[in-house]
Amino acid sequence: MTEAPLLEIDALRANVAGNEILTGLNLTIRPGEVHAIMGPNGSGKSTLANTLMGNPRYEVTGGEVRFLGQALDGMAPDERARRGLFLAFQYPVAVPGVTVVNFLRQAVNAVRGEEVPVREFRQELFQKMELLKVDRDFARRYLNDGFSGGEKKRAEMLQLAMLQPRMAVLDETDSGLDIDALRTVADGVNALMHENMGLLLITHYQRLLNYIKPQFVHVLIDGRIVRSGGPELAEELEESGYDTIEAAASTA
Amino acid sequence: MTSAPSTPASLLTPEASRALGEALGDGAAVAALRAKGAGTLDALAMPSPALDRPWKYVDPAALDLDGFAPPGTAPSISVEGQAAEGLTVASFEEAGGNALERVGEAVAVDGDRLTALHYAFLSGGVLIETKANAEIAEPVRLTREYSEAGTLATPHTLIVAGVNSRLTVIEEYRSGDEPIAVLPAVELLVGPGAVVSYTSLHRWGARTRVFAEQRAVTERDADVRSLSLVTGGRLVKSHITSSLEGRGSSSEMYGITVGGGQEHVDFYTLQDHVAEDTRSDLLFKSALGEQSRAVYYGLTKVGLGARRADANQENRNLLLSRSAKADSDPVLEILTNDVTRVSHGATAGPVDEEELFYIQSRGLTREGAVGLLVRGFLGEPLDRSALREGVRDELSGLVEAKLTALGSGA
Repeated sequence: MTEAPLLEIDALRANVAGNEILTGLNLTIRPGEVHAIMGPNGSGKSTLANTLMGNPRYEVTGGEVRFLGQALDGMAPDERARRGLFLAFQYPVAVPGVTVVNFLRQAVNAVRGEEVPVREFRQELFQKMELLKVDRDFARRYLNDGFSGGEKKRAEMLQLAMLQPRMAVLDETDSGLDIDALRTVADGVNALMHENMGLLLITHYQRLLNYIKPQFVHVLIDGRIVRSGGPELAEELEESGYDTIEAAASTA
Repeated sequence: MTSAPSTPASLLTPEASRALGEALGDGAAVAALRAKGAGTLDALAMPSPALDRPWKYVDPAALDLDGFAPPGTAPSISVEGQAAEGLTVASFEEAGGNALERVGEAVAVDGDRLTALHYAFLSGGVLIETKANAEIAEPVRLTREYSEAGTLATPHTLIVAGVNSRLTVIEEYRSGDEPIAVLPAVELLVGPGAVVSYTSLHRWGARTRVFAEQRAVTERDADVRSLSLVTGGRLVKSHITSSLEGRGSSSEMYGITVGGGQEHVDFYTLQDHVAEDTRSDLLFKSALGEQSRAVYYGLTKVGLGARRADANQENRNLLLSRSAKADSDPVLEILTNDVTRVSHGATAGPVDEEELFYIQSRGLTREGAVGLLVRGFLGEPLDRSALREGVRDELSGLVEAKLTALGSGA
């Protein structure tokens, strides 16, 4: 636990459309760690994900986020990506006319900062598609266009696999997945995770955490973390719900 | 007594029409159409932006053609494509005889003063005809180029596809920087079971105004697919119609506009479902930079007899500058209640910020993300046109060159 942190979130405050959603959030993630942030609707889960990636619709009003020791404030989303940060979107947008393969090739070249030879790229792509149990014709479809919920989440995982980030944030990756798809996606993530990488799972339900095991679980209420613990905290939440913790937090 | 020209200054007189016909040595069919055109010049009015819906956004001054001179007898046309069994490609002068009996069948002489002018001053007609069952592998390619200042050009392309034949035609239009007016007519007579793909490339100069008429008529089980790509011209006004008269026939129409400068690109489309079990699909997209403007007004008509029709119509516009403008009006007119599916949609707006964020989050710069989005956006109708690879590459090259000139993304 002496290794330098990947991600340090320090008293982060953020607004969307003039409303303060994050109200002083602290979190540190080191290489090899899997963290889960759980929270009810409206607690700030998606705001955290978007703020970390630098969505211009979200405004940081206080605190700081450092990634690999560097402050992220004012950094464009593409620069964050090139430094090794990745967000798997809850609702990935469709990009008609741009095929999955074309998009991935441009993204890989951008993130790696060099033209990867076509053959090498294809080999790697097919290997990762196999890992995630994605049909080969998937590559020729327009990105997320007409994709089912499960296909969208798989496309996000394929991007994660190809971009090989240092730190991946998965925003509600379990939503819209049936149990088989969830297992496939989780197996893929587990296979991609390594000791130099950090993983942050953002989720409403405990379900995903049965397949991707976090060492640390945090509860997010009203824009800040009110409790942290080990995997047992997720189980406690599953049994007693957010209400008890919420009540405890508001009287604290 | 001679009939008076519409204004004393006009060079586009019935006399000039007759002289042109004599110089070209018209055959009977063309002579009759020319005479009819010349005879109705004064009786027919120009379309009125105030009164005629498809003309709503056209500057009335652009419709004043009186200063233009009649075309010469030898417009520049080049034809490429291999000679093939069952294929005829000939100028109207060469074709002669019965081959031209069907000229004027799809695009009527007396639509308005523009069509009358087209036929009265027709010069540069080309017939492309396939015999029954002929499968023409290579695309037939026409290139028409105009450079003479102050003239009216009247290209006419008549495509007659025999029973069960297959044909691909690519027609490229170009002009220089001089002011000219062009009234193209394209007729597609698609026989039973035939499949015709027609692509027009509008690469006009900055002072060219164009009033184009394209109409397809499909017989039983025929399929027609057309793509219009516009990358230049002061005013490019195209009317594109398919009359689905044969049972089980289909029409796909695609359009791509890359606008810049003061360009005004204006489409009126009509997918006219006349017979049962007919299908139509339509996707027109424009990316508009600088002060350019796109207008789309499209009608999908499902007639009383067109039971089980399946129709889709979409127009999408991407505004790349604050001064660019798009007007979009897709309209459905359905007279039968027994349809398989009828849908339509229209959008106009700048590049979506959420889409940009998504693409940027994968490492592409903002400029790179805009470029990718615009190219993908315009690539969709190109993909759906199902052109062979070489042709597709050429067309995306034209799109690319125009986008690069506009400076939108690398």
